[in-house]
Amino acid sequence: MTTQPARKLPPPVVPPPRLLGAPEEARLFWRLRWRLASNIFRQAFQQARFRMSLVTLLTGLLWVGLFGLFAQGFHFLKTTIPESVTHDETARAVFSIFFVSLTVMLVLSTGIILYGGLFRSAEVRFLFSLPVRVERIFLHKFQEAVLFSSWGFLLLGTPMLVAYGVVEEGSWYYFAAIIPFTLSFVYIPGAIGAILVLLIVRWLPGDRRKLLWLAGGLLALTAAAVSWSIRRNIDNDLLTPAWFQEMLARLRFSETRLLPSWWLSSGLLEAVRAGWDTAEGRRALSESVMFLALTISNALFLHQLAIWAAAGLYRGGYSALHAERPSRKRLKPARFDSLVLRAAFFLTPAMRLLIVKDLRLFRRDPVQWLQFLIFFGLLALYFLNIRRLSYDVNYVSWVTMISFLNLAVVGLILSTFTTRFIFPMISLEGRRFWILGLLPVKRETILWGKFLFAAVGSVVPSTLLILLSDFMLRVSPLVVAVHVLACCVLCSGLSGIAVGLGAKMPNLRDDSPSRIAAGFGGTLNLVISTGYIAAVVLLTALPCHFYLAAAGGLGAPLDATTDRLWNWLLAGAAGSIVLGVVATLLPLRIGFKAFRDLEF
Amino acid sequence: MIEFENVTRTYGRKVAVAGLSLVVPEGQVFAFLGPNGAGKTTAIKMLVGLLRPSSGHVRLGGYDLSTDARRACGLLGYVPDVPFLYDKLTGREVLHFIAGMHGLDERAAVERVHREMAHFELDEFIDELAETYSHGMKQRLVFAAAMLHDPAVLVIDEPLVGLDPRSARLVKNLLREKANRGAAILMSTHLLDVAEEIADRIGIIDRGKLLCAGTLEELRQSLSQRHSSLEQLFLEVTAASGESAAPAEALEHHRSE
Repeated sequence: MTTQPARKLPPPVVPPPRLLGAPEEARLFWRLRWRLASNIFRQAFQQARFRMSLVTLLTGLLWVGLFGLFAQGFHFLKTTIPESVTHDETARAVFSIFFVSLTVMLVLSTGIILYGGLFRSAEVRFLFSLPVRVERIFLHKFQEAVLFSSWGFLLLGTPMLVAYGVVEEGSWYYFAAIIPFTLSFVYIPGAIGAILVLLIVRWLPGDRRKLLWLAGGLLALTAAAVSWSIRRNIDNDLLTPAWFQEMLARLRFSETRLLPSWWLSSGLLEAVRAGWDTAEGRRALSESVMFLALTISNALFLHQLAIWAAAGLYRGGYSALHAERPSRKRLKPARFDSLVLRAAFFLTPAMRLLIVKDLRLFRRDPVQWLQFLIFFGLLALYFLNIRRLSYDVNYVSWVTMISFLNLAVVGLILSTFTTRFIFPMISLEGRRFWILGLLPVKRETILWGKFLFAAVGSVVPSTLLILLSDFMLRVSPLVVAVHVLACCVLCSGLSGIAVGLGAKMPNLRDDSPSRIAAGFGGTLNLVISTGYIAAVVLLTALPCHFYLAAAGGLGAPLDATTDRLWNWLLAGAAGSIVLGVVATLLPLRIGFKAFRDLEF
Repeated sequence: MIEFENVTRTYGRKVAVAGLSLVVPEGQVFAFLGPNGAGKTTAIKMLVGLLRPSSGHVRLGGYDLSTDARRACGLLGYVPDVPFLYDKLTGREVLHFIAGMHGLDERAAVERVHREMAHFELDEFIDELAETYSHGMKQRLVFAAAMLHDPAVLVIDEPLVGLDPRSARLVKNLLREKANRGAAILMSTHLLDVAEEIADRIGIIDRGKLLCAGTLEELRQSLSQRHSSLEQLFLEVTAASGESAAPAEALEHHRSE
């Protein structure tokens, strides 16, 4: 080695640069955000006014729909349980369970989003080369992560809270208090998630994946244990007052006084009773203000704690994480791929290769199949737990209805999958079009390959799930047959819609599938898919439900009408098939044309 | 001005940079040459505060990057090979943000932004969103951003990637001019002719080790034979590094000071 020994320089050799104070730095970052946000909105309003209007309209409709649903639910609770103590207990149980689950989800989602933001983003690499405080970089990305992880809660949670206030006729204080309560609440699990991420990356950078699996496993076990503890050895008959009291008692674990979710639910429940005219109102008001102060002070404390953690751990953690050598695993051709190639012998070789290529990309990207696995795993868990209901509720119509609702849920999850993963596939191909575009393959072949990949890949797990649900509910063979048919129709249609729209509305600029899916095309895909699922389920469920009811499920057989209902059932099934064919071929046709004319 | 003091950096078991000691004084352009995966990018990442050395020290103007990163970065202008820009900001907004971060007041910022706009001929597109820029436009904007605060140290990863011949000439002249005015410049490049043309000293790095460093003339002499080009020299040195576990011992190290 011939490197020279370093010459000791008397530090510092140049005058120190001018460094900004913390408030100046904060001002610059807020100005940066303001500029980014205003540019994005200006651009959206100038270039995509229709998209913006549609997204706003759909969001508004979703909010109003949820508000109506929650208002009905709370009204039902109020009229069904008029006794005030039990009614309050029920509302508290609903709020506590909701906010406890939310706390866990926010810790996880903020942590995961922040990990990407702090340790994998190009922006941070850029900011590190500027004379910026590390705490400021952390705060910049942390606040972004809290916003991204909690906007869903703000969209889905606020209609629930507003509906409760409307049904309970809360004063203006309740509605005003919702904002500071929710804002300070989301900050608490967010900060906990942030501190956990900083600690894990700093001290266990190499084991973070194992740790994630471990945390996931523990969470699943805890969820299973909680679910079991709620359901085990219920002494009373289902849906009786005694059963109801027993269930409330079993849900009390969510009302632990140290949980921020309890502060939030207690604060809001007191706020709805708050007033100035009565002693009870004033007491409720002071209690609510106390809980608000408690939530805000804890949020501020955790905010400060997270900043201290970042000051001590962030730079070191960043460096430690990037000290890992990227894994350079040699991959052999999988046996499964050759099996697929052989099984699809009837397709053209080019199409088979395209399908196997997509299969490999899917398999080697855990982000894709892991989300799918979690959703379908949770559904499987739920289906395995519905047996008890089928024993206790001896009405065929109820069981049939639940089985069709299960079909709808599978369809909805499938539609999120096709929106998130299938819809962006064409846009992503745009980036590597130099490969496919130069091959002697028709562009239609590429789309057919993607459609077959999506349809066959989704029909297997979906049908298995539906069969599991039917087995647990012990529905009749007729219902099973209708379900399998509807499932195939759903998979084919949803895949056709996603591939067709993906080709018609590609986003060739973004390289992130989640951003592509979150755009206008993805949103439209989700909306059309939801409408399609509703249509298919209604076409198959309604005639089936009435036929079974008429054929003796609800007691007296109605021979005169059964024949007509049987015909209706057949017509519904045929209608769903026709709808499936249209939903598959029409978007594909539109997609083919757009894809043929597409310039990359 | 730029100082690596016995710096080692590992990735797991792999040693990316091994015992690197190097000083680039003010007024000098130093070019890092090396094949892919030689350790150039790791060295640069340590120099801009993205990575910390496993052992040793990296200093800019006497400020240690591990303990005083803010002050060190205050002296730094950095041009990465893949530039990051906020897509939804205009070039002017990006420049003003960076000027502000370097503590320039509004008036000084406006003045410097105008200066660099003229330097890098940004007028045509400066008020458009950065997402519409070509790679060359982005690269020119990043150069302008790096020059805004008249940095004492310039670190450039692949300086001419994506630049048209006119912009490339502009950058070459600018680097020379900055060095003449006292800046210490370290650049990493694969383009041997660029190194030959601009650099005062050249260092060849391979498998994490600095195999040799010096002026072109010194490097030629160090191998005790006359090479007609830097290319021949580079190929010989890196080939020797591949064949021998400790090829550097065979090479005599020179300093230009």
